[in-house]
Amino acid sequence: MSDMRINVLFFGATADIVGKRREELEVDGEVSAGSILDELRTRFPYLAAQKLHISIEQEYASSDSIVKAGDEIAIFTSVSGG
Amino acid sequence: MDHCELTTEPINVGAVARRVVPPECGATVTLDGYARRFTTRDSKVIETEYLVYEAYEEMALKEMQKLAAKAKEDFAISNVGIVHRTGKIEIGETSVVISVAAPHRKDAFAACEWLIKELKRTVPIWKKEIYADGEAWSEGEAAE
Repeated sequence: MSDMRINVLFFGATADIVGKRREELEVDGEVSAGSILDELRTRFPYLAAQKLHISIEQEYASSDSIVKAGDEIAIFTSVSGG
Repeated sequence: MDHCELTTEPINVGAVARRVVPPECGATVTLDGYARRFTTRDSKVIETEYLVYEAYEEMALKEMQKLAAKAKEDFAISNVGIVHRTGKIEIGETSVVISVAAPHRKDAFAACEWLIKELKRTVPIWKKEIYADGEAWSEGEAAE
């Protein structure tokens, strides 16, 4: 298992809550999307109050989806376009 | 030809409707969604000054293209156009246009309704409502 870096993007309400549009995480080897969400909720406690969605490589993912090195991850609240 | 687009410019509704029309079609149904000033929430009337939309652009375009493809599988329609504006939208300005061309209108109406419902549920675009005394990210259809 080697260290890997993951870039996480934020949009809308999550960007306002964390005060930035991207965050770099360092993780050990492959991780689940759920463990990334847990780490972000620890770093940014205000995220814990939100119902969050996660995408991997611009596709909706579930918390047991596996994140690989270099994947583009995004965290956001329920969408509200239209 | 289907057409999915995000733009920060005002949307020309008629142009979106026209560009999806092939020769076998007899009807195009177009939804023109625009910014509403008054919204009733919990029996209280809220006045919006303007809206700001933000998109996860690459993913939003992918999701819009998926919706267009699925609509063509499930409904007897020929072409779909979906254009969503981002950035600041004044009251009355168009935020989204969905045009569906079909041989017959019934299928176009049904597909257009399905498309806007799914767009509001799945396409990663967020709406911020700005009021005289504050602002809030909209919680979407599920919360309304």
